[in-house]
Amino acid sequence: MYDFIKDPTLYNLVRGPLVWIAFIVFIGGSIYRVYSFINLAKKDKTIMPFISLKYTLRSLYHWLIPFNSVNWRRRPVITIATFLFHIGLVFTPIFLLSHNILWRESWGITWWTLPEELADIMTLIVILCSVFLFLRRILAPEVKFVTSNSDYLLLFISFAPFMTGFLAYHQLLLVHKTMVILHILFGEIMLIAIPFTRLVHMFYFFLTRSFMGSQFALWHSRDW
Amino acid sequence: MAVKEKVVSKEKIVSRDFKEYIRELNPDPGLDETIKGLSPEKIEKTIKSVLGGKSARIKAVLETCIHCGLCAEACQWYLSNDKDSTYAPVAKMRMTIWEMIKRDGKVDAEFIKQCARIVFTECNICHRCSMYCPYGLDVTFIIGLVRRICFLLGVVPQRQMDQDHAHAAMMNQVWLSQNDWLDTMQWQEEEVGAEFKNLRIPIDKEGAEVMWLPLGAEPKTGTYHIERTAKIMNVAGVDWTVPGKDVWDSSNMPMFIRDFVTMQRIVRGLFENAFRLRIKKLVLTE
Repeated sequence: MYDFIKDPTLYNLVRGPLVWIAFIVFIGGSIYRVYSFINLAKKDKTIMPFISLKYTLRSLYHWLIPFNSVNWRRRPVITIATFLFHIGLVFTPIFLLSHNILWRESWGITWWTLPEELADIMTLIVILCSVFLFLRRILAPEVKFVTSNSDYLLLFISFAPFMTGFLAYHQLLLVHKTMVILHILFGEIMLIAIPFTRLVHMFYFFLTRSFMGSQFALWHSRDW
Repeated sequence: MAVKEKVVSKEKIVSRDFKEYIRELNPDPGLDETIKGLSPEKIEKTIKSVLGGKSARIKAVLETCIHCGLCAEACQWYLSNDKDSTYAPVAKMRMTIWEMIKRDGKVDAEFIKQCARIVFTECNICHRCSMYCPYGLDVTFIIGLVRRICFLLGVVPQRQMDQDHAHAAMMNQVWLSQNDWLDTMQWQEEEVGAEFKNLRIPIDKEGAEVMWLPLGAEPKTGTYHIERTAKIMNVAGVDWTVPGKDVWDSSNMPMFIRDFVTMQRIVRGLFENAFRLRIKKLVLTE
């Protein structure tokens, strides 16, 4: 923050104030979205009385593990792609060495880091899976019919930080510093976008699974 | 002798709103005639009354669905129509509710007719798509909302609307009066009497263990079902009865077109019959 006040360059902007804004919006917005969603659900007589913890956990157990539900087994390619994509998307940024160094420089805190080669491979996998998901949007007729511009935008929002991060790490295409600025900017855009777009499925997944898991238990039926 | 093949080609129509939505022309007065009386204001008002002030169940679907198309293979309509993408559950949402929200309720009567065709005749509300959806989204609930909109506008396939009217007027779907109902029960009792000694079909027996509630079609066209049920109950030694008063038809057709008033009257009527006779269990056909 002080760096930006002393020297207001684009780099110090994305590295200082925008990071603060991004994290505050991401954390605050996410808490607000989940909190208001649960409050809204309480107003509906047909949701809360039927929620059961046991069947919520059973439902999550079947859908959070690859090939543990019928549809995951029926579509192996999509299952592998989507799980690799999401694991890379969530865990690479958190456990990346360079990000950890930033945390230590700013706040003096550290945690586990991924080996650099592994993080590099995970990033590459996220990029390749994004391409796969994009091709699926264009080529699979049932997906193409329901695809709108917002879907491409959401895919781009999650793809861009990884692409720029990968290019910056390998110092390709653009000047290193420019690429880093782009990378940080796209990362912040993604964080801000999560609570306010359909990327909120990151949190809503657990809520909707909880509802449907309990609902199907009520009907003495499986939900996988 | 050569057999002449008679090819009947039905006229195909391409939807005005969605190029991919191609269907055979299927005239139905319940859709074709009713849309003539609709004004844009009425449609907008109805859509907003149903979708306005979105509940958590609507939001959960609209704000989570990532349009992945994994629900498609769950749908029997999709599978039995050569994987035509317009039969996928998510496609049905796209062609109805997403479009209504996108246009803020400003859709015309022709669009409502198309919605009615999609939600009434191309979805059975079986919930299989929720089993295939990674998020477990309640797609059928959304289809039900669109059915509600169509019902409030009166745009319902004629056959389904007729069943609803029958329920509203007679509390059963086959226009069977109470006299006919009691008469059928006694007639069946006589029929079974030829095979089983002392077999009774107890009507309005107070304090019975089980109350059997048939579907409307059983006393109307499938009376042998009643005979067989009586035999089973008799051999199994069940203390059973059938209601002597309306309501006895457990097929809740108004539920399918989201006529909530008639739907509640039926359920309430069934339970009131059970309370009146202090029944412990309800047994329903199907």
